[in-house]
Amino acid sequence: MSSSIIRTIRNAYRIGFKEYMAQMMTIGDTKAGTLVGVDRFGNKFYENKDEDEIHLRTRWVMYKEKYYDVSQLEPGWHGWLGYLVDTPPNALDAAHTSVQKVPKPMRIHNGTGTPDAYVPYSTVKPKFQSWTPTIKERV
Amino acid sequence: MIRLPSFAASRSLVPLRPSQQALVRTFSASTSASKPDKQVVVSKSALPKDYPLPSERKPQNVIDYAMTTLDAIANWARQGSFWPMTFGLACCAVEMMHLSGPRYDQDRVGIIFRASPRQSDIMIVAGTLTNKMAPALRQVYDQMPEPRWVLSMGSCANGGGYYHYSYSVVRGCDRIVPVDVYVPGCPPTSEALMYGILQLQKKMRLQKITRLWYRSR
Repeated sequence: MSSSIIRTIRNAYRIGFKEYMAQMMTIGDTKAGTLVGVDRFGNKFYENKDEDEIHLRTRWVMYKEKYYDVSQLEPGWHGWLGYLVDTPPNALDAAHTSVQKVPKPMRIHNGTGTPDAYVPYSTVKPKFQSWTPTIKERV
Repeated sequence: MIRLPSFAASRSLVPLRPSQQALVRTFSASTSASKPDKQVVVSKSALPKDYPLPSERKPQNVIDYAMTTLDAIANWARQGSFWPMTFGLACCAVEMMHLSGPRYDQDRVGIIFRASPRQSDIMIVAGTLTNKMAPALRQVYDQMPEPRWVLSMGSCANGGGYYHYSYSVVRGCDRIVPVDVYVPGCPPTSEALMYGILQLQKKMRLQKITRLWYRSR
């Protein structure tokens, strides 16, 4: 049983009223677990693998932004969240982490609808032109 | 004669850079000149680049705040009852059906498929649009009430896809109807379609409906 009233009350008691309301506004479920880590954008990642959580529902994220989007997650944490890896990025040893000398510009959101939106453009000459209809004079 | 947008001189949201101020002054000086045919040469770097989108404009006064609140309520209602007209044409429709199934459960975000275009808000064009089907697609789109959105799903609906060079296929459903969101993929996964729907909800959220008849500046 994943969703029973006893579980809901128990988890709500554990996490507190504020977190309960935040979860109901985003996840729609009441979950309690351990805070595994926080990515560099402030999203919090939780896990509960000990108790009666359903398979593939043992990891979840509480977003920092109000209007959240999965593109706001850090890539390594996104992989952990989707069960791609079992080790969270903050628990990796130095041999498995890469340090870049030049910091990459970070995009923390999907640019659609904002000035960062992707706009395609072609630099080649168009192969056809639009047709301008003309009417010939009747003889 | 280069015509600047009328709000370039009066806008106050983003302070003008010195180069832009110079540009505006040049323009006003040239309008009062006796020779209107004179071309104003403006270098490309001097042109302003940071016009805020209408969705990014912050409210300025009391009416603006009231209007944005009304917009937010209307947009909230629109996002919450997202009734698509399913235009399932090919294999993309199978992924669209998966979205309505229990795993990607679309009912939790208020999506209910309607078979009638007169009761739907969004049309999901899922699959290859052929020349023969194109008039029907346009007719169904015309029957949908305003406000309406179109979500193009899959390579075929986006731009013809695999059948781009076929003699009988429309090279993208945006040649028939205006499209709001393009979901890439062949076919897109149900997650991809869900993400496209979330993007469309974002577009709804950013829409300023009262802007149609009220503008503070």
